[in-house]
Amino acid sequence: MTDAGVELFERLGAVEHVPLMKGASGTMLLELTGGKRIERWRIVVEKGEVAVARGNGPADCVLRADRTLFKRMASGRVNAFAAVLRGAVEVEGDPRLLVLFQRMLPGPRS
Amino acid sequence: MSDDLVKVLDGNTFVVSDDRGDIEASLTDPTGLFAYDTRFLSKWVLTLDGQRLNALSVDDLQYFETRFFLVPGTGTVYVDAKLSVIRQRSVANGFREDLTILNHAEKPVRLRVRLEADNDFADLFEVKDALKKKGRYTRTAERGALRIAYERKTYRRSTLISSSQRAKVDEHGLTFEIRIPAHGEWTTALDVVAEMPGFGGLEMRGRRRAMEANLDRWLAAAPRIECDWEPLRHTYRRSLVDLAALRFAPPITGGRSLPAAGLPWFMTMFGRDSIFTSLQALPFTPELAATTLTALGEWQGTRIDDFRDEDPGRILHELRYGELTAFEERPHSPYYGCADATPLYVVLLDEYERWTGDRRLVRELEFEARAALAWIDEYADLQGDGYVWYRRRNEETGLENQCWKDSWDSISYRDGRLPGFPRATCELQGYAYDAKMRGARLAREIWRDPDFADKLEREAADLKRRFNRDFWVEDDEYFALALDVEGRQVDALASNNGHLLWSGIVDKSKAKSVVRHLMGPRLFAGWGVRTLAEGEARFNPIGYHVGTVWPFDNSFIAWGLRRYGFKDEAATIAAGILDAAEFFDGRLPEAFGGYEREQTKYPVQYPTACSPQAWSTGTPLLLLRTMLGLEPLGDHLVVDPALPAGVGHLELLDIPGRWGRVDAFGRGRVEVDGRRGR
Repeated sequence: MTDAGVELFERLGAVEHVPLMKGASGTMLLELTGGKRIERWRIVVEKGEVAVARGNGPADCVLRADRTLFKRMASGRVNAFAAVLRGAVEVEGDPRLLVLFQRMLPGPRS
Repeated sequence: MSDDLVKVLDGNTFVVSDDRGDIEASLTDPTGLFAYDTRFLSKWVLTLDGQRLNALSVDDLQYFETRFFLVPGTGTVYVDAKLSVIRQRSVANGFREDLTILNHAEKPVRLRVRLEADNDFADLFEVKDALKKKGRYTRTAERGALRIAYERKTYRRSTLISSSQRAKVDEHGLTFEIRIPAHGEWTTALDVVAEMPGFGGLEMRGRRRAMEANLDRWLAAAPRIECDWEPLRHTYRRSLVDLAALRFAPPITGGRSLPAAGLPWFMTMFGRDSIFTSLQALPFTPELAATTLTALGEWQGTRIDDFRDEDPGRILHELRYGELTAFEERPHSPYYGCADATPLYVVLLDEYERWTGDRRLVRELEFEARAALAWIDEYADLQGDGYVWYRRRNEETGLENQCWKDSWDSISYRDGRLPGFPRATCELQGYAYDAKMRGARLAREIWRDPDFADKLEREAADLKRRFNRDFWVEDDEYFALALDVEGRQVDALASNNGHLLWSGIVDKSKAKSVVRHLMGPRLFAGWGVRTLAEGEARFNPIGYHVGTVWPFDNSFIAWGLRRYGFKDEAATIAAGILDAAEFFDGRLPEAFGGYEREQTKYPVQYPTACSPQAWSTGTPLLLLRTMLGLEPLGDHLVVDPALPAGVGHLELLDIPGRWGRVDAFGRGRVEVDGRRGR
């Protein structure tokens, strides 16, 4: 795992209630490629509460990205939605979760 | 965009062709098949034995479907009228075209049918600004289909063209060598599919049958109108159908739809336009407001991002899906540079609850509404003086004017000088006031936070007091268009005064003077209120925001007039705008010329206006509300009609709301000068 990724996930894990829709629920699977093997993280959103853990499993939305790119996303240097539009990040499943996920990412100044 | 072009649309997918159904787009004109802000077909030309066809007629069957009747031959002399051709086209995941050729002769005929196809994959922004492409094109004929693809690094878009009948496919089109028996016909279905690999969730819109059922349901669910003024019935129906066409289900809303802004440039989610249109349509189709609130809430700003002019709590201005956005050459992923959508978000949330009684959504969006209210004080007050200001941080591709009058010259002093930045336009202060008042009601009644409610009301009262002092132009008794950075009044007289009435920020004692200006000869053109008053240095009756009449603007002015008890004046505006609608066959354009009605007799359409456009489409709906004086009060709907002369009776039946369904009736009584008798 990249430093920025770990940092981001620590932040997500630490925040009890990220500013998300109260009604938002769903599971997102992050697949980070470009290393020796694919690294998988599960982000579970339950009525606005966010939990993050390593691991595989069924998900409503799968996000696939190169770990270098993800590091840049996690540090706010790359905009997640633009990356999806140009095919640098692949999305499968419910794209609403992508919108919620990008809200958790920091801005370029932070 | 020229009106002899034929448009078929559904949400953000649309096809614009000539009256033969052919497409021959240049880089700078918005014809072709577009989806998600990208052109997917720029050339689509049908020939029979190498000959182009002539149009006999075009039937707009539905907004998403049209039929072209054609015959071979050139000019006015038909070479062979023994053949006719029907192209029936409907938008669906790209489009489908059923091509039928009828042989009227008594002997069989052999024909070479050719469809020439090409595409440039232009981003709508490139079409607007005529920019060059940076990627690589490929054309491949594969298994009876033609795929045209575009690639720039990881960005890929492609168009797949296939046929139900066997075709000879080459890199530039499809050819059919056919034989049609005497009095026989030949038909094929052509599918043009817009492909966006890698974005699996971006399901395009449904098939034709589903759309038809959907439109029927939409129309059946809306209130019915009864009145003795036939054009109003026609305009009403047209508005409902156009609003259905402009509905757009972005992939992030789980299939629910909100209004896109307008064809051809703005078939996407816009904060301001979606909110205003949802407000106009609330008494008719409240579900649009629910989706708008949810979708805009999901995209609410969470961080500081100068390129996108994003702040925490800010509601987006515009979301785009095209190539320039993808490569961050434009900031629309999304772009947040507007100063009104955020307070208006709270206004819509409150108005929505007043109509529907849907407390669940208000509770669900509590965080978003609080963040929007916080944005007003923490991020919009650039001068630290308690007003809403705007100044873009993205100096290159951001928007200079972040209010609805967003053209470069819209905010001026009487003498025509333009103020520097930041600017605090007057209507923004009105929206902020209204947002605080309405936020207070939600806090008290639904979020159970009376302290927050008290705080908001105190702030609102203070804002109102200061506003009525600082913006009031003493010598002429109206509100200045804006304050400049030194706190001086940007003193031109503009239609924004009407929005101030709507917001409620105007002191009762000042309302009469404001109304006198709105209905006076400098602002009122006979059809409606001009954006800028005649006599101001920058006034121009065909200037985009400096003299034209905007139907949407007028619908909110009429609402404002009702709010302050000026029923007859509201009816006068409703009559003028609805009369104008008659000249456009019930479809109001974005704007028309601010010429004196007596002088031109008919409204002159602004040259490049979008049509249909969402908030123009919503205008007749809001005018129906103001004419009937519909106002929710607790669990009841108050009806207090004031109809223009010429409308003897008006009934709106089955108005949905927290009361279930109720009917509203009105009888005519107001005399309007210069209105044609009927």
